[in-house]
Amino acid sequence: MSTSLLEIDGINSYYGDSHILFDVSLQVGRNEVVALLGRNGAGKTTTLRSIMGVLAPRSGAIRLDGKPIHGLPPFEIARRGLQLVPEERAIFGQLTVEENLRLAALTAPNAWPLDRVYNFFPRLKERRRSGGRQLSGGEQQMLAIARALIRDAQVILLDEPFEGLAPLIVRDLVRVSRELAAQGRTILVVEQNVVAALSFADRVYVLNNGHMAWEGTPGALRADPALMKAHLGI
Amino acid sequence: MPSAPLLLSQAFNGLALGTLLALVSSGLTIILGTLGVLNFAHGALFMLGAYAMYVVIAHTGSFLLGILVGAMFMLVVGVLLERILIRLFYNRPHEDQILVTFGASIVIVEAVRAVFGGNSQHVPTPGWGEGIARIGFLFYPLYRLELIGIIAALLLLLYLILYRTSIGLVVRAGIEDARMVGILGINVQRAFLLVFAIGVVAAGVSGMLYAPIVSVQPDMGGNFLVEAFVVIVIGGLGSYPGAVVGGLIAGEIISITSAFDSAYSDVMLYAVMALLLVLRPQGLFGSEGRV
Amino acid sequence: MRARFWPELAMAAVLLAAPLILPDLGFSFDLLQRILDWGLIGLGFDLLFGATGLLSFGQAAFYGTGGFVAAYLLVSHAMSSVALALLVGTLAAGLFGLVVGWLAVRRIGIYFAMITLAFGEMAYFLENSPLARFTGGENGLPGVPVPQLGGLKITPGLPMYWMLALLFFVGFVLARRILHSPFGAVLRAIKENTARAGMTGHSVPAYKLAVFVIAALYAGLAGGLLGVFQSYMPPDAFALDTSGQLVVQTVIGGVGTLVGPLVGATLWLWLRDNLQQVPLVGALWKLILGLIFVVLVVVLKRGIAGEIRWIFSRRRRAATEAGVPEEAGEDAAAMPVAAPELPLRATLAVTREDAPALRAIGVSKFYGGLHAVEDVSFDVRTGSIHAVIGPNGAGKSTLFKMLKDEVSPTMGEVLLFGHRITGLGPTRTAQLGIGKSNQLNQLFLDLTVAENLRIAALARARGTFRTDLWRAADSIPAVERQVAAAMETVGLTHRAGVPVHVLPYGEKRRLEIGIALAIGPNVLLLDEPLAGMSPAERVSTRALIREIGRSRTLLIVEHDMDAIFELAERITVLYEGRLLADGTPEEIQRNQAVQDAYLGGLHEHEPA
Repeated sequence: MSTSLLEIDGINSYYGDSHILFDVSLQVGRNEVVALLGRNGAGKTTTLRSIMGVLAPRSGAIRLDGKPIHGLPPFEIARRGLQLVPEERAIFGQLTVEENLRLAALTAPNAWPLDRVYNFFPRLKERRRSGGRQLSGGEQQMLAIARALIRDAQVILLDEPFEGLAPLIVRDLVRVSRELAAQGRTILVVEQNVVAALSFADRVYVLNNGHMAWEGTPGALRADPALMKAHLGI
Repeated sequence: MPSAPLLLSQAFNGLALGTLLALVSSGLTIILGTLGVLNFAHGALFMLGAYAMYVVIAHTGSFLLGILVGAMFMLVVGVLLERILIRLFYNRPHEDQILVTFGASIVIVEAVRAVFGGNSQHVPTPGWGEGIARIGFLFYPLYRLELIGIIAALLLLLYLILYRTSIGLVVRAGIEDARMVGILGINVQRAFLLVFAIGVVAAGVSGMLYAPIVSVQPDMGGNFLVEAFVVIVIGGLGSYPGAVVGGLIAGEIISITSAFDSAYSDVMLYAVMALLLVLRPQGLFGSEGRV
Repeated sequence: MRARFWPELAMAAVLLAAPLILPDLGFSFDLLQRILDWGLIGLGFDLLFGATGLLSFGQAAFYGTGGFVAAYLLVSHAMSSVALALLVGTLAAGLFGLVVGWLAVRRIGIYFAMITLAFGEMAYFLENSPLARFTGGENGLPGVPVPQLGGLKITPGLPMYWMLALLFFVGFVLARRILHSPFGAVLRAIKENTARAGMTGHSVPAYKLAVFVIAALYAGLAGGLLGVFQSYMPPDAFALDTSGQLVVQTVIGGVGTLVGPLVGATLWLWLRDNLQQVPLVGALWKLILGLIFVVLVVVLKRGIAGEIRWIFSRRRRAATEAGVPEEAGEDAAAMPVAAPELPLRATLAVTREDAPALRAIGVSKFYGGLHAVEDVSFDVRTGSIHAVIGPNGAGKSTLFKMLKDEVSPTMGEVLLFGHRITGLGPTRTAQLGIGKSNQLNQLFLDLTVAENLRIAALARARGTFRTDLWRAADSIPAVERQVAAAMETVGLTHRAGVPVHVLPYGEKRRLEIGIALAIGPNVLLLDEPLAGMSPAERVSTRALIREIGRSRTLLIVEHDMDAIFELAERITVLYEGRLLADGTPEEIQRNQAVQDAYLGGLHEHEPA
């Protein structure tokens, strides 16, 4: 076996009868930060949702540490140490910040103490009694990531963590992501903000129209404007 | 104009009926809020609770045992109902959910009728509830007074379960976004089962407590089902505080109106509901988004 | 949908043969009369539930109202004509239905069932005590006279059966006409996809209210007849059980078949009358029916009549579905590119020749603290193809919804040819000529391709609401021409009679555009028309869009940049809810801010 912690092997996913992912494969090694890039509608979010079991792929395999996890319900996959931080953040607005964290910690065998999470995000400690609905976009994103941390997830799937956030907050989140990577956590991040994503990724995959189009290092991607233009934007 | 003692006595009746309606309706509303299923069998389950009480008392004579055994029995009924039937309907249209729970109510009512017959049964008032209490110039049946206290305690217990335990945390999060609860490693299906069972037990225990006051017969639940609907339309769909406040309001409307003219007591309740639908269609505690 | 008369003929034959055959099978005349009475109230209920999808648990309110009004008028000798009393009772039920419906139809699903149930109970309590002076309270009203025909009394037994059979038959013919009228087509559209029915320009609440009243009228007539043929008006007509029994009979008999309630009533009442005689089983008949009902809801949803219809139509269905290929890739490429001119109905006076087709003036949409769209202004020139682009979360979909007023802006306004449309809602803006296709398909899945397009074409031809109950839905030549033209434009003519749910994805996607086109829009909004399409389908759909753009103003949101730069004459770029740029494709391509936004440069301006 390779050293891949997370291995996606030729999956095909559909929304209803709309075919979204075509034989998509990718590997994420232990302690690696991998960015998954591509235009809008390329299938990035669908890839993360397929890994998490929210949208079960119709064919192909997904393995975590060599063991198949495809076909399992999301809660089983979460208990195996994988955690999706969804694009819409999905904070529970009626629950306070602390209740959001306690809920996330409920079924985690090695749940962090609250203070350890608050060390990463001091802002959340200040707002721990606030309802989720009262948080700003940046605070919501911190809370969404914090819920993955408190579960001590081995692999964190970040779906557009910087979307709609002010640059200062993006910088802050990039710093946290780097720290997490340095501490040996494995991250698969989907991002439109290419510059921010490339600033902390070890490796890059590019999706185009549901097909895996390119794989390489951030440096190689940056050095190739034609590639950027062809697959990522204008 | 009715006399002051009559009004006061009716206000107490309203409180007794209101707390009972609050308990029945909160069971209905947490199922609706969490699972999105409107349980038309709720009235039949209320009736089933009353019969459970009747059976246990007939064999043991103990009211307390009736509550305990009855609650256990309702828990089992709730679990079976969810596993066998309701679970299949989470992803079906609301109309199908209504039809299947309505069908379940027919089966429950007719099964009880087949076993116990159509005649009404009598459940005796427990010894500690016999007699009349005197409050100032007002004489009031002791059991009804105690009932207000017992049900208030049960509503508090339900509040503590919903707002102070991790089960409650899961339930409240599930009302908002069941999918995300699953993504955070929690078995939502099991949480749903628990919620449904709690709702069924709430309906059953209401029936048990109410049994000594009324005649117990197979069709006794229908009226309560409709009144519980009115309560949650008034209070707001899926809202626990709405069910409690709505229940108290409904109880007082029925009782106070009947002090003036008993012919209008139920009609007035529906008139208030109609008025509320025009002025505040989402109910007192409801938000516009749901349903 | 061409009118076929065999159901009417079959029904007439059954009604004629029933009194000859059924009495030997344990059906008394009294039983037959009650079955017909339940069948009559069921016709209205099936229009409400089966056709429109509105599950009412309060039909007893109208059954009882019609019954007691008619019975009281006759018993109190306020009226001597039974026919007249029945008419007044029916109208009274309709009026009550108008009031209850007005409160109930604004709510859907769960709420609707609860509210109708509650008003049913309210009617029961009204009858029982406050109105007991008129209704006899718990005793009901005995002594309702039988009708007379030319001095001849219609006595219980065979004569009464013929009268009920005739009335049921007339009710059945009318219900079928309604179902197959343009009005009925809209009802079915509401059941299949309420939101889309409203978006194409039909006033959903008005249709729901109308069919609610129609159902109340049927119930009222049936209630009046109940008192007449029993010579007694029972209070339990108002009971909750009456509404419930109707629901059970309809589901067992077959929802959406019109005859389902009659079949269900036959089974229910026959079992009750005959099982009760059998020892041991006697008391269990209702339990058995309840179990059958639950099983039917869980596994077989068609019911008895529905199952029979299913078996009969299987061969025909198999033939049409065999013609649908699995993949549409090659087929799509064969689509005609030259579209016929669509008949356009302009209902809006163009104030100035050069007024922009659409003009957004400082529109903003805030959800709580989230500023989805903020202060966006731009013009869409008449006759142009205009594109809106921007990264995820830029607010494109919200902006699109505001342009059709599906969502009203928090601030600012939208003008259509110089006229303010903000606040009108999606139904009115459709009537004014704004068509929209959605990012996710919003189709009427159980209807055919032609029926889907007809729903849209009927909208501007008939206005937001019209009660044309008698003509056939496909009998309006202008509408049929529009359906045919839209069908040809999106290349689905060969699929006209195919139910939409069996179409492959690419064809569904084209039908989505076709529906927006079939309303005959002056301005067409396309939200990600290429989403989920294969490369071959993309090529042909791009050609289709260019073609459509020749005859009308087109505004398009799309992620496929190649398509945008090929098609659009002007591009508006949104970023984080704000307008980032607005210009020709060349200008946009050169714009540094746009480059940064798409490549995700950490932008330099730091927001406060």
